[in-house]
Amino acid sequence: MTGLITSLIAQSGEWQAPTIDWHAIAPELVLIVGINLVLFIDLWIDESRKWAMATLTGIVLLAAFVPTVTLAVTGDDVRSMFDERYVIDNYALVLKALFLLVGYVVVLMSQTQLEEGGYYQGEFYVLMLASVLGMVMMTSSRDLVSMFVALELLSVPAYMLAAWRKRDGRSNEAGVKYYLLGVFASGVMLYGMSLIFGTTGSTKLVDIARSLGEGDLIAIQVLGVTFVIIGFAFKISAVPFHTWAPDTYEGAPTPVTAFLSVASKAAGFVAISSLVFIAFPAADEVYQPLLWVLSALTMTIGNLIALRQTNMVRMLAYSSVSQGGFILMPLAVAGSGDAAEPALKAVVVYLLIYAFTNLGAFAVVIAAARKTPSGSISSFGGLFVYAPGLTVLMTIFLASLAGVPPLGGWFAKFGAFRAVLEADTNAGYALAVVGAVNTVIATAYYMKVMRVMWMADVPDGDITPVVTPAPVQAARAITAAGTLALGVLPSLVVRFGDIADLSGALGR
Amino acid sequence: MLGATGWFLDNAWLIPIIPGVAFALIILIGKRLPMQGSELGVASMAASLVLSVGAAYQWIQRVDDAGGHSEAGTLGLIAGFGRSLTAAQEEGAAYVQPVIRSWTWWESGGASFGYGQHIDGLAVMMLFLVAFISLLVQIYSLEYVRGDRRYTHFFAAITLFSAGMLVMVLGENMIQVILGWEIMGLCSFLLIGHWWEDEANSTAALKAFLTVRVGDIGLLVGTSVLFFGANDWTQENLGTSGFSIQGLSAWALSGEASETVLLWGAVALFIACIGKSGQFPLHTWLPDAMAGPTPVSSLLHSSTMVVAGVFLVARLYPVFWEAFSIPDVSVNFIVVIAGITIVISALLAFVQDDIKKVLAYSTVSQLGYMMLGLGAGAWLPAVFHIFTHAFFKCCLFLCAGSVSHSGSHHSFDMKRDMGGLAKKMPITAGAWIVATLALAGVFPLSGFFSKDEIIDNVGHNGYEVFMYIALFGAFLTAGYMTRATYLTFFGEPRGAAAGERHEEHKDLHAPAFAMAGAHGDAQGSPDTAPAEDDPADPLLHGGDAAAGEARDVADPGEAMVGPVGADRHDAHGHDAHGPHESPKLILIPVCILAFFALTAGFTNAVAFGEDWEQFKEYVEPIAEASDLEAAGAAPRASDLEAAGAASVRSGSSILNDASSHSVSSPAPVQEEGGEEEHASGCGYTAPEEGGICFFPAVSHAEFEWSKAALSLIVVGIGLVGSWFVCVALYSKRSRSLVGLTQRLAPARWGYNFLWNKYYLDHLYEQRIIRSIAHPIARGANWVNQNVIDGVVNGLGIGGRKTGGWVYRNIDQRVVDGAVNASGAAAGGTGHALQPVQSGKVNQYGALLFGAAAVFAIVLVIVNV
Amino acid sequence: METITDQNWLLSVGTFLPLVGVLVMMVIPRAEEQLHKLVTIVASGATLAVGIYTATQFDFDRANAMQFYVNEEWIEVIRSNYALGLDGISMPLYLLSMVITFLVAIYTWDNMPEAGNPKAFGILMLVLQVGLAGTFVAQDLVLFFVFFEVVLLPMYFMIGVWGGAQRQYASLKFFLYTMFGSALMLVSILALFFQTGGESFGFLHFLDVAGTLDRDVQVWIFAGFFVGFAVKVPMFPFHTWLPDAHTEAPTQGSVILAAIMLKLGTYGFVRIAIPFLPNGAREWAPVIGILAVIGIIYGALGCLAQTDMKRLIAFSSVAHMGFTMLGISTLTEFGINAAIFGMVAHGLITGMLFFVAGSVKHRYHTLEISRLGGLLVSMPRLGWILGFCAMASLGLPGLAGFWGEFPAILSAYQPGFGLSEELYRVLMVIAAVGTVFAAGYLLWLYQRTAFGEPKAEFAQPVHSVSAAVNQEHDHDDHHVELHDVNRIEWIAWTPILVAIVALGIYPKLLFDITDPAVSDLVARLGEHLQP
Repeated sequence: MTGLITSLIAQSGEWQAPTIDWHAIAPELVLIVGINLVLFIDLWIDESRKWAMATLTGIVLLAAFVPTVTLAVTGDDVRSMFDERYVIDNYALVLKALFLLVGYVVVLMSQTQLEEGGYYQGEFYVLMLASVLGMVMMTSSRDLVSMFVALELLSVPAYMLAAWRKRDGRSNEAGVKYYLLGVFASGVMLYGMSLIFGTTGSTKLVDIARSLGEGDLIAIQVLGVTFVIIGFAFKISAVPFHTWAPDTYEGAPTPVTAFLSVASKAAGFVAISSLVFIAFPAADEVYQPLLWVLSALTMTIGNLIALRQTNMVRMLAYSSVSQGGFILMPLAVAGSGDAAEPALKAVVVYLLIYAFTNLGAFAVVIAAARKTPSGSISSFGGLFVYAPGLTVLMTIFLASLAGVPPLGGWFAKFGAFRAVLEADTNAGYALAVVGAVNTVIATAYYMKVMRVMWMADVPDGDITPVVTPAPVQAARAITAAGTLALGVLPSLVVRFGDIADLSGALGR
Repeated sequence: MLGATGWFLDNAWLIPIIPGVAFALIILIGKRLPMQGSELGVASMAASLVLSVGAAYQWIQRVDDAGGHSEAGTLGLIAGFGRSLTAAQEEGAAYVQPVIRSWTWWESGGASFGYGQHIDGLAVMMLFLVAFISLLVQIYSLEYVRGDRRYTHFFAAITLFSAGMLVMVLGENMIQVILGWEIMGLCSFLLIGHWWEDEANSTAALKAFLTVRVGDIGLLVGTSVLFFGANDWTQENLGTSGFSIQGLSAWALSGEASETVLLWGAVALFIACIGKSGQFPLHTWLPDAMAGPTPVSSLLHSSTMVVAGVFLVARLYPVFWEAFSIPDVSVNFIVVIAGITIVISALLAFVQDDIKKVLAYSTVSQLGYMMLGLGAGAWLPAVFHIFTHAFFKCCLFLCAGSVSHSGSHHSFDMKRDMGGLAKKMPITAGAWIVATLALAGVFPLSGFFSKDEIIDNVGHNGYEVFMYIALFGAFLTAGYMTRATYLTFFGEPRGAAAGERHEEHKDLHAPAFAMAGAHGDAQGSPDTAPAEDDPADPLLHGGDAAAGEARDVADPGEAMVGPVGADRHDAHGHDAHGPHESPKLILIPVCILAFFALTAGFTNAVAFGEDWEQFKEYVEPIAEASDLEAAGAAPRASDLEAAGAASVRSGSSILNDASSHSVSSPAPVQEEGGEEEHASGCGYTAPEEGGICFFPAVSHAEFEWSKAALSLIVVGIGLVGSWFVCVALYSKRSRSLVGLTQRLAPARWGYNFLWNKYYLDHLYEQRIIRSIAHPIARGANWVNQNVIDGVVNGLGIGGRKTGGWVYRNIDQRVVDGAVNASGAAAGGTGHALQPVQSGKVNQYGALLFGAAAVFAIVLVIVNV
Repeated sequence: METITDQNWLLSVGTFLPLVGVLVMMVIPRAEEQLHKLVTIVASGATLAVGIYTATQFDFDRANAMQFYVNEEWIEVIRSNYALGLDGISMPLYLLSMVITFLVAIYTWDNMPEAGNPKAFGILMLVLQVGLAGTFVAQDLVLFFVFFEVVLLPMYFMIGVWGGAQRQYASLKFFLYTMFGSALMLVSILALFFQTGGESFGFLHFLDVAGTLDRDVQVWIFAGFFVGFAVKVPMFPFHTWLPDAHTEAPTQGSVILAAIMLKLGTYGFVRIAIPFLPNGAREWAPVIGILAVIGIIYGALGCLAQTDMKRLIAFSSVAHMGFTMLGISTLTEFGINAAIFGMVAHGLITGMLFFVAGSVKHRYHTLEISRLGGLLVSMPRLGWILGFCAMASLGLPGLAGFWGEFPAILSAYQPGFGLSEELYRVLMVIAAVGTVFAAGYLLWLYQRTAFGEPKAEFAQPVHSVSAAVNQEHDHDDHHVELHDVNRIEWIAWTPILVAIVALGIYPKLLFDITDPAVSDLVARLGEHLQP
């Protein structure tokens, strides 16, 4: 203990300013600038022009996209700062790109919603940009502290966004609930982090890995690992930490729901995989069973509950819960033998594909919202009659979620299965079978929706075609293209998965 | 020209092709032809006849040359009778290679399925027979079914029918046999159900097809068994597949065949024959088959369909010979079945009022004779009986048809609508009587020579018991045929025969005769009329058909609803004026057949000594081991000349004694001398190394007038006795006899037993089929719908239920609790915070922390 | 297994050509109904043309080789390639799928199901065709799986949208059943991949390494494939989706389902499960054989209990596929040849039966056997065609059905690779009994529908053919308008009828193609089997 303190003092003794690689953190910088820009412009611009905010936000996100690309093309040499506590490697870049893209699509989806709902627009976009910033940071964080900061940065705005429909009780409730539980989770996580720091003497993932590797784990360390992971398990709404999700998803404005169910969930996974692959390789006896149970529970419970849902958004919420279970599958065997690398790839690929597909589904729901105010599945009856285009798109997205080739989803699942089987452990095979069975259950409720859309009659008999605003159409187009392309030519996305080697992971 | 072959022999395969093509043509363009396609049918059969006569002629030449005869058979088999020929059989004639040609039909897994021809004495005989009878029947049909609404279809089907039989007859391998076999099954279905508007007819057709199909299980299984048993051997020794007829025969006799395989194969095949040839216990379909038009019945019962089974046994004789070790035992599967069949069907024939059914049962019992002969080693007489039986049975049916056509207003009921027709239709009556005597086996008509030979040889081969059964059968045959003859042509004209219109006749005949009365209630009784039990279910209506079909066929006027039926009457409007002789188209075939019934026997009149035994010489293969090269060469049919020559060369080489003996039987020391001497021949001992047998050395009983006399006496008693009974019963109406079956309990019991056909139909239809079609099938369906599907649906529902439960109790229980709690909590606090206050969040939080704690503890315990 | 790579663009074209049609139809407005039907016909026709050209280019002397073999990188990260190839086993089924789709498209011209909307219908049909054809030529497990699954959705919608009263239940059941099978199959595929060293998903690779696996592993992996394929076949007890699907599906759906989709399963056994897992196959063979025979008898009994014509035909499929599976389970050349022949024959015959059933439904608006009757009186030609198909279906020699049935029974007498002869001989006999049942239910069906007089409700003067032709263009005639087979139907049916006869008279046509490939397969099986 004393040694620790002295070392700390020693460090603080010779302090020199860290060298900043401006190019490396350009995306973050662009976002920060953008946030302020939007904030100020929003103050001066008058109500009639608020719509411009959305455009501006979009531009900001795309602007942030540019350096990401340039970073990617300028060789894949790993750039690290702050004593390797903030690393920009391909893994980080791919996911940064993902978050930015998701953000952009969400903006497209929310624009009209906000205009019609007459909600504060500027603030909305500010908060969203802030949240995206947090996610972007999360991808590069290689230190418990910076991870925690990123997490809070991406969560806090999300709490508010969830409560955005301020005139709607359910929305408020959703926001508050999300907030409170988020806080609880953060508490647990912080506790865990402190324990880890206490026993390993470092917040830096690589160091943690090293010291955990020395000798067997002690109880405190086990507790620490468990709590940290559970803290993020909340973010990815893994059963039994999913309870907030359905209420929140249902209550929040649909675009926000999409954002939460895709972006913030993805952020959670990013964090978990960083931890699992960099910090906790030595603790695989701890996190593997934990994640195994979480994964199995999440898939099964999520699916079973989704079977019962009558509300479209709520159904999608639970489905996204169960999807989370599938993403957890490879992580549950990440520690066993040569499964690690495919596991990492599987997670990244799954996140990419899942993002497209799920966003697409929500985009369709938004588009059809005018016809389906109640949001109940039955209100989608006969969609095929008056909106064949939407129906086909929705079918594509749902089928992709169900994992029907040749749509993206099947390849994502394929990767996950591949990883767990490659582990070649009994646990792996067992999990694979659980997963296989769950695919069928999942299919059941996706099919139910398709059936309603294609085969049921129009509830109110009104079959005037649906016209959807251009932005939403754009969102649909992007997501649909992604879903199809990734399914037919998975090589595209796999290239990302391929190069997404997490520096420092697996002892590299 | 040794082993002469010739164009007709080499191209015998054309014989079935011609009618086959004709069938296609009739179907396609028949309706547009002037005679609606019938001309095609007749022409094709005529062509086949010409070809088969040519083949027969060349076969005789071939045999003569092979046997080194000076003079070749000039007239051919048909006119072969009475031809004195100096059979120079002293120098042992050799096994004459059949003319075999085969082309690969398809190959699978190394085995090749051939298509080809296997022409030998048996084949040419059958070819001629089938073509000849079919031709006559078709000519007859030109008149008989004129005006029928499905005239064209009728000729198409009947032509294909003959084609099927021809295919089977010259089949080179089992596949081809199956092909012909099934084609006949199909056609019998079409023809028996020709007037399908009436359910009874279609039911009869169904019954026929299904019953035969049951037997066909045996055909498929048996073929498979034998194929795998023989294939290796035949490939090695003959270069043919295990389907080849010749290969199977040789293999069976080679002594290398495994006993069990042979036995199973033979039993299976014989089951098929039971089905096809209407042997007990599968004979029940034959009488119902009378639902078809009369020409069909005659064709079906004389030369095609039903003899197919007998033919198959004769064709693969070595297999059965070895499997049932025919020469060494005094009882075996075949003869038992045959014996039972002879007697029971003959008895049944006594209680039939439908003239066609009498003939049907008579056919069954005659088939029994053939089977008996084959089963008892009397191959030649059995085959000969096929030959003679075809003529007189066909003749009888055509006569019956002629009667119903012109004499009894389309009725076949002897008691209602016939009697005394001899005066009205003398020619028909004459032909009928000739055929009847032939069937009864009266010297010197054809039936005598064949049937008596069977009886004689059966006894001679050590099956004494069955010899007496056969004699008894002969007695019965004479009896029921006399009854039928009397009822039809003698005594008082009744009903339509008396010129009355059919309709008004119906009511006055009711109490006419005791037997008719019995007939009445027997018919009414549920035993024979299951229709009442479940009208919704045609499968069960066989019985209905059997009983009710007398009605239905009795007046095709009903069967043939619609105007067309009426036309048919007008076509030869005899309804106005009563019975009269039939037109020429009907009479000519009848007379020709009668002529053959009279004379066919002389083609193998053993009674008159060697020179008359044309059949033995030309039809029966000579049980002579030829050597492998020759045999091997033969099936490839590359060069038939060489094959024949080779075979002859071998002929003089091996096993001379056996052959010379088996062929000629000069010595009167024949009775038991046979076995010992044969004990070394083909079919008794395996051929020597390099030798190969294609046919067992069957023995032949020496004809003795004493034995013949015995059977003749039996027949005589049958004829005369039955005649007097008939007179007494039907004309004199003597007190003692009439209504005997009512008064005397045993008689009544026996009568009902017979009337209900030993309750076999009852067993099949009420018990077996019904149980399959109903409890079992429905049970299976129930299982399907409720058990298997239940599991599936159960899983689905279960999944949803679980989901619901989890949702309510784990996920939302807190919610409900929350709502209530929130109500209470809401009081003091601001609305904005209400959700926060709501217990929900607490619950969720509790769950979160709780789960975290649990996980932590477990993991710590596990890991530390 | 040798490969021939000449003209290896052919298969890709033949497989994906229908998509062109799909694109065209996407731009055509929905109102142009006839135009859509036309495009469907043209697209499927063009596909068939390509298929026929492929057949002409096919080297029949080397039918055991993988011809037109293309093998391009697809998803290199999982070492899965875009590999297509055609050999004697795939060839018949590949062509069959094209022919049937084309004929179905023609049939649709004036037999559009009630729900209308030819645009969607045609598109689905073409997509379906892509999946079917692709499955038969795919030479890479992942690719195979993709095609195998592509088939699902179109069929699901075909049943669900254009189907009968129970369509939603039936379609969902169909989908979940199959999905269940494929899920386990996916696990097996991956297990196989990794157990064999995770080098490649290519069929040829698996053929090389087949048998290197430990027996127990093989047995387990085979189990997964078994479920996946048995559901598709369908084998007892996984068959219960079939009757519902068939009964509810529109005629076109039933035909494609019966003629081609059921073959995906059997093809899977022959192409994948058995050759890749020789020992697993040998361990499983008795189970397959027993289930197959149970299926034969069980399906027949099911038929006897049906009151609906279409449902009866559906059950008969269970019985017929039983013969096919019995042949496969013998692991002999005989058996597998017979099985392939049986697939094609069943495809043609049962497909044809469903066509007839569809036309009966189209005219009578019911398939209740008890209400039908007297077909031969009211519609002689249709009646005779029905009879013809019934005869073919019950295995009458000289028609195609026999060559699938009899050799299968035959092969059971002597199963390969030391399988229990006693067991298989018992199976043989039971199967032979099954043929009687087949005759029973088919003829009984025929008697009740075709024979006798028409029921009162439908009794009326028969239409002449000319009248029928005039009525070609009334689509759903709700008035009971009984006209005999019309021109479109003749066009759509004649090829099938001809094929049934041709294959029956000259089975060599098919056996010559399949035999070399099959004998190679069995030989390889022998080499790879561990004692």
